[in-house]
Amino acid sequence: MEPVLEGLGLAFSLYNIALVMAGVLIGVLFGALPGLSSPLAIALLLPFTIMLEPVSAICMMAALYCAGTFGGSITAILINAPGAPPAVATAFDGYPMARRGEAGRALGLAAVSSVTGGLLSLVVFIVATPLLAKVAVSFRPPEYFALTVFALSMLASISGRSSLRNLIAGAVGVLISTVGTHLGTGIERFTFGFHELTEGVEFVPVLIGLFAVSEMLVQSQAADQALERIKSVVVKLPSREDIRRVAGTVLRSSGIGTFIGILPAEGSTVAAIMGYNEAKRWSRRKDEFGTGVPEGIAGPEAANNAATGGAMVPTLALGIPGSGTTALILAALIAHGFRPGPYLIQETPEFVYAIFGAMAVGNIAFLVIGLAGAKIFARITLIPRTFLWPMVFGFSVIGAYSLSGSFFDVWVMLLSGAVGFIMRRHGFGAAPLVMGLILGRMLEETLSQSMIMYDNDWLRLLESPIVCGFFALAILGLAWPAIAARMAARRSRNLK
Amino acid sequence: MLRSARGRVHRTDLALSLAILALVGAGFYLCTTFEEISPLFADSIPPEFFPRLLLWVIGALALLLPFEHAFRSRRGDSGLEEDRRDRVRPIAYITFAAALALVAAAAWLGTYLTLVAICFALPLLWGERRWVPLAAFALGFPTAVMVLFTQAFQIYFQPGIFGLSLN
Repeated sequence: MEPVLEGLGLAFSLYNIALVMAGVLIGVLFGALPGLSSPLAIALLLPFTIMLEPVSAICMMAALYCAGTFGGSITAILINAPGAPPAVATAFDGYPMARRGEAGRALGLAAVSSVTGGLLSLVVFIVATPLLAKVAVSFRPPEYFALTVFALSMLASISGRSSLRNLIAGAVGVLISTVGTHLGTGIERFTFGFHELTEGVEFVPVLIGLFAVSEMLVQSQAADQALERIKSVVVKLPSREDIRRVAGTVLRSSGIGTFIGILPAEGSTVAAIMGYNEAKRWSRRKDEFGTGVPEGIAGPEAANNAATGGAMVPTLALGIPGSGTTALILAALIAHGFRPGPYLIQETPEFVYAIFGAMAVGNIAFLVIGLAGAKIFARITLIPRTFLWPMVFGFSVIGAYSLSGSFFDVWVMLLSGAVGFIMRRHGFGAAPLVMGLILGRMLEETLSQSMIMYDNDWLRLLESPIVCGFFALAILGLAWPAIAARMAARRSRNLK
Repeated sequence: MLRSARGRVHRTDLALSLAILALVGAGFYLCTTFEEISPLFADSIPPEFFPRLLLWVIGALALLLPFEHAFRSRRGDSGLEEDRRDRVRPIAYITFAAALALVAAAAWLGTYLTLVAICFALPLLWGERRWVPLAAFALGFPTAVMVLFTQAFQIYFQPGIFGLSLN
């Protein structure tokens, strides 16, 4: 009980609450602006949080993560431009409802469903994280190696244009993680004579480049794009009738979102789309979906926010990111000197409870901030892109530079931005690359340790039933897109 | 039409696949340039083993790329094409070139003036012609950011040859 109280005490200190509020504000703001997203916000914020207390920094990012997921729905509803990918499904019914003159009702439904989903998933987070960590603490290098392979295999079914491209991007990320001194032998690899690379590629400039600079290049081509706005917004909390109508959907979607979040690599976007599909499948008014029904807003919103709590479970208990954004939080944990994984909760349990507290505060805060400020956040989209993106680029340069006071990192950021731009154009996501980059070291280290344990006999890896289980799940993860496509084709044939 | 006569090979993806394979080849070559390991470490996994394993995986996956389109078309999924249907507009290249030039000049200009240059040049490139807001933005934003980071976070920024900084 003591760590729980200590953790909550940390989260509820005035200083941390102020930072959590700042995180919520930044999250809603970044979530609301099309093109800006919570991963981008965390990537930009990361270098500056190095100066903060680790607990405060991670609490701020966790709150930002929750709020950013909700922020995307504001512009999805008001201007049919989802601020972030998890809000794509919210626009399907949110925007038609707003066009009917019920923008306030749509925003209210989105906010309440998001908060409910977020808070319910936090219950799972706080129960499941210590349990999972207790199991994982018995893992040896072979089990960790197999777990990492499983996590990377899930990139095949992560949201994005193509499973194949996600896998390639993930493998490239792992390859980038091999840059620097090989821990087993002390030999330098792929450093090209740059002493800055001997300890490996810094995560932060790569993250800023992939998320911020590549997005700036995309946005440079749409600087004159105009968006249609809903003008009158009077935010309304859902009526008793609306609550009764969406209660089942919210509960179901919260469960789906939490489960999807817990799966390594799967994030809020997949959860939101599944939440929407399930809301439609269970509805008696299937035909009305797409015209502005409350379930069409509640389903994806509850699911995408529930995924945030779920995604924190493997991130903190196993050191395996549950989503693209938690991959960045994991990078932040590493940057702050933590050892993510089961030992984190064993050695510093209060830290995990502090994150729980911060996310709970964050969820409630964005309900208030989101509802009270929806009008203002919608107006923020009026900031001309010609000023917004140079601002983002300015922050990117300062963020990359301030990490070690070196322009080398700024060059790495620019290179990553160009690579990210080309990748995006050809359907390769930035999130899988980041996952690979972050998991790469663990993959190589655990493989090397396993080979030492088993005298370089690969087959002995299969002696452990846990390893076999993870490998079986990995094969399932790789095959899942094909299985799902076949199932969908069969379903549509049956419908005809 | 991007596809070949047989309709199975996607030309853009074929070029992409060849580019990735060329990079994989370069990676293999680089692996041969690693230093020899000491006999003390003869039993451990050599440093080139893991990167080579990854290069094999990337190469094998890249070989599938040109044929992915046929599979995706069967599923009626062509979302990928939406992303690259339009040509990259010249402004994207110009923006990147400007970013490169500004960062290259940063060591000489110093961080503050580089930020001012970024905030002036990029909006201008993107078609901003309202001079008063532009000037206010180009001076106001960098000053605010520099004051915040030097005073609140105690970050040292390079003053550049003009010695201009807010440290």
